Amino acid sequence: MNGPGRQDPPARQGWVDWLEQRVNLSEIFSFLTHFGLVYTPVDTRKPVREVLHDVAAEPVPRYAHGARALGLLAAILFGLQIVTGVLLAYYYRPTPEAAFESTRTIVRDLPGGWFIHQMHAWGSWLLVAVIVLRLLRLFWEGLYRAPREVLWWCAVAMTWVVIQSDFTGRLLTWDSHTYWGTVRGLEVVWAIPIAGPVLAFLLGGRTVNEDVLIRFYVLHLMVLPVFYAGFLYLTFATLRRVGLSRPEAARDQGTIHYREHVYSMTMLTVGLFAVLVTLATLLPFRFHAAADPYATPGGVRPPWYMLAPYALLQHLPVPAWLSGLGLLAAAIAVLLLPLWLRGDDTPGRRRRLRLAGVAVLAVWLALSVLGALLERR
Amino acid sequence: MPIPEERPIRLPAPAPPDRRRFLTVLSQAFLALWGLGAAAVVGAYLKAPEKRDAERTVNAGLLADYRVGEGRLVRHGITPFYVVRLDATRVLALSAVCTHVRCILGYDPARRTLVCPCHDGRFDLSGNVLSGPPSRPLPGYPVSVRAGEIFVQV
Repeated sequence: MNGPGRQDPPARQGWVDWLEQRVNLSEIFSFLTHFGLVYTPVDTRKPVREVLHDVAAEPVPRYAHGARALGLLAAILFGLQIVTGVLLAYYYRPTPEAAFESTRTIVRDLPGGWFIHQMHAWGSWLLVAVIVLRLLRLFWEGLYRAPREVLWWCAVAMTWVVIQSDFTGRLLTWDSHTYWGTVRGLEVVWAIPIAGPVLAFLLGGRTVNEDVLIRFYVLHLMVLPVFYAGFLYLTFATLRRVGLSRPEAARDQGTIHYREHVYSMTMLTVGLFAVLVTLATLLPFRFHAAADPYATPGGVRPPWYMLAPYALLQHLPVPAWLSGLGLLAAAIAVLLLPLWLRGDDTPGRRRRLRLAGVAVLAVWLALSVLGALLERR
Repeated sequence: MPIPEERPIRLPAPAPPDRRRFLTVLSQAFLALWGLGAAAVVGAYLKAPEKRDAERTVNAGLLADYRVGEGRLVRHGITPFYVVRLDATRVLALSAVCTHVRCILGYDPARRTLVCPCHDGRFDLSGNVLSGPPSRPLPGYPVSVRAGEIFVQV
């Protein structure tokens, strides 16, 4: 922290100084940057100009590069989901009668509606992909060890929240394919012993009707984003305490000026939007027909991240409850990984862990490919 | 900003351990009761009103309207079912909800089977599983024909 030592600012008082005398701007700045941008502790007793100066002067690791940029991409995508989601919510009506109609109005009749909808839909899939890749990266680098357990738990919890957001959001269009995809997904969830009935109770019953739709709507718009923001806050709060990454990694990569970091972040954002716009315009999500609870269409596809359990359900005579229980157990096992892998961190042990992780991933990918091929048949 | 000098706060003399523990347990018990009460109230609110099908007897139309071998889906509440005319007089009613993951079955009049569009499970008209992942047979419903009209007891 090498802030300017000069105590007396120029006599001219701007609005910042006017506000500064009335509220603690540094505290507000610190709170806001708990959701992104600043990774180092902020001294909230200093005036805000000095804090900004400190932040800009603090060298940061070469962060917005390679796999380490995934967290940043997730934060940008989350912002995009909020903006496009609010715009969609202005016209969307969450009832079985109006849901498909209102979505079609957005997509077909409103100027630019299709673009906002496609950006939201693709943004959601990219967010799932980015957040899962980030989890893999944290695993690969062993960033779940003390004192980084909380960071790992946040990353796992954010993965759950994002997958649930995608799952709840897909039902909202009330399209026949997403509707029946949800029905089939929920059957697996509800077959889980103990947790299944509890979830069915919380989600409004076992039949996907107006009660379930409005609960999905509330979860998608309010509950899950608030949880996500909470975990984001906790992530940055932890980062400010334990630092950006392992010291040896930082030493290898060197440090850069904060402004350079902001520049790379901007470039990353531009690149991300280029990808998103390309996907949204060239590969738009298709609509089929309004969902009919009395007619199941053929060729309903599960989302890409659920192709593996889907393949398992199809190929092996695994009962649905066992499949659901397996998924739940896997999710909890991933969460508890830091407690399970405590102890010595020798290179040999780390290599073995990585190998185990790669093996699990390979099985998952193989099953996913199997599931994707099944659908095409 | 000068931080005011802190004056030591005089605490009351500690209660005897027995009494303190008793009071702690008591207040924890009260809090737990409050929590249970709040959970019960919220839970009762969260329980979605159960949607029961009001009618138990469903009119599935005139027997004369069905051709022999024809099956029709009757869109009845949460228990949709197929009505199939077997021959001149016999009619049967069979659930249209697959016992695997609750997809709505399609009726194949040529083979007289019910086929699931989701996982290709197949049922015969007695409800038995012919092939595919379903593990339980389809439930059937009693049918009566009165004055040429088909009634199904759901």
